[in-house]
Amino acid sequence: MKLELGVNREFSEPLLELKHVTKYYHGAAPALEDINFSVAEGEFISVIGPSGAGKSTLLRCINRMIEATSGEISFDGVLISKLKKRDLRKLRTRIGMIFQHYNLVDKLSVIENVLHGRLGYKSTLAGVMGRYSPEEKLQAMRIIDLLGLHDQVYKRCDQLSGGQKQRVGIARALIQDPKLILCDEPIASLDPNSAKIIMDHLRDVSAQMGITVIVNLHQVSVALKYSDRIIGVNQGKIVFDGSPSALTAEKIAEIYGSESNDLMVELGERYAI
Amino acid sequence: MKKIEEAILPVKPLTRESLTMWILLLVLSLLTIYALAAIDYTSVDMGKAMADTLNNFKTIFFHPAAHRLSLWDAFYEVLITMGLAFLTTLFGGVIAMLLGLLAAQNLAPKQVTNIIKGFVAFIRAVPSILWVLIFAVAAGLGSVAAVIGLTFHSVSYLTKAYSESFEELDRSVIEALMASGANWWQIIFQAVIPSSVSSLLSWTFMRFEINFANAVAMGAAAGAAGIGFDLFMDSGFYFDLREIGLVTYFIIAFAIVLETISTNLKSKILIKKA
Repeated sequence: MKLELGVNREFSEPLLELKHVTKYYHGAAPALEDINFSVAEGEFISVIGPSGAGKSTLLRCINRMIEATSGEISFDGVLISKLKKRDLRKLRTRIGMIFQHYNLVDKLSVIENVLHGRLGYKSTLAGVMGRYSPEEKLQAMRIIDLLGLHDQVYKRCDQLSGGQKQRVGIARALIQDPKLILCDEPIASLDPNSAKIIMDHLRDVSAQMGITVIVNLHQVSVALKYSDRIIGVNQGKIVFDGSPSALTAEKIAEIYGSESNDLMVELGERYAI
Repeated sequence: MKKIEEAILPVKPLTRESLTMWILLLVLSLLTIYALAAIDYTSVDMGKAMADTLNNFKTIFFHPAAHRLSLWDAFYEVLITMGLAFLTTLFGGVIAMLLGLLAAQNLAPKQVTNIIKGFVAFIRAVPSILWVLIFAVAAGLGSVAAVIGLTFHSVSYLTKAYSESFEELDRSVIEALMASGANWWQIIFQAVIPSSVSSLLSWTFMRFEINFANAVAMGAAAGAAGIGFDLFMDSGFYFDLREIGLVTYFIIAFAIVLETISTNLKSKILIKKA
């Protein structure tokens, strides 16, 4: 698996590259228009922008949960846009995804949900029967421990708090052994304290495991605090792409348009420092 | 001031829908009263008819006795009826499981779900006894027609019930698993069925109970043997009220046993899952 995807990769080549990616929904204004950027291995990138700017669409185009109308996306040396169903499935095993509403199977236990992350590696039959190898189970336990969920292993997911559910979501992504994790508004439904725990975990994932993380965020302050790089999206276009320190008040105004005044209040602390 | 105004507002405003509903209820109640008042009883003396009926009930329920059937015979006949119910529920459940997956909106394309849902709605609209009689044209009156007809109706009933149970799992959960590379069958068995297993079971038991009742009726109406046929013979052929009572008690006893088993099983599964 690793060999197959890694054959043509040189060290300098970016992990993920988007070229002229465009997405139209039913002919109206484009949801994404000529998106170009590349991501190096291990980067922590935040995508910010007002609601409806196309952040979610952008993220989902990367693993083809949404098909881009045109443009090229390559991941780890493979041109994603050309993959057939079976190969796409294989590729998706290397891309984890985390959601705002966690999207866990509520009636199953934590460990069962975590192990779901391995289904993509299995034959249909092994997956259907739910046969997981001892190594996989051990790895699941290790990851659950790492995320501080050891007391919840056999609890049903509907008994967990939001923050705990999101940690299960991270565990499910991590057990895929991914190169890239896509996070779609991971902290939008969480209280500030749980949100901090989740963001810290994501930063650790990126810094310690070397996994590339792309996060859609609503909160500019969080993006500034955690990211190596910020991409600002407005009306389907990238209007900012750079380091957090380069994100000036004017740039924020450009990204958020009329909404930006409220944000400035929120960001007061940062500019005070 | 504004707060007080709001407080006076009715909780349920009178909309067109609720007005129509009220008018409909009113018309129906008026019709019922009129019909009861205007019925032509001709030569039937209501008082005497009532008394005779109650007397028959008394014979049936207070003096049950076996004449034709031994207790063992009756038991064996109930088992046959039970077998009919079991077989039709089993066949129906297996077929409906597949159709239910294809009829669930979160699992299958919209056109497919619409076709299947429309098809099973049509089958459901026709009572199961009619399906048995329709199949009796090909298979002849008897147990074969009863099994096919009841299965047919069970499939349509369970397909609707199962697909609605499957739909309880949010589409976004399925999306999450697809994003991790899992395929359709894996998602079905690892996420969809585990999420809906308790409602699948309760619907299946529900149908089993319905099928048991239907199987009794089929014994009488389609000559499918079993306790229903004995009931038919006792009432329509031998006029043996006391044996009717016995048979009725047998059926009730079995229905209670079924109900108890299903309740126990359900609570066990729920506890295991909790």
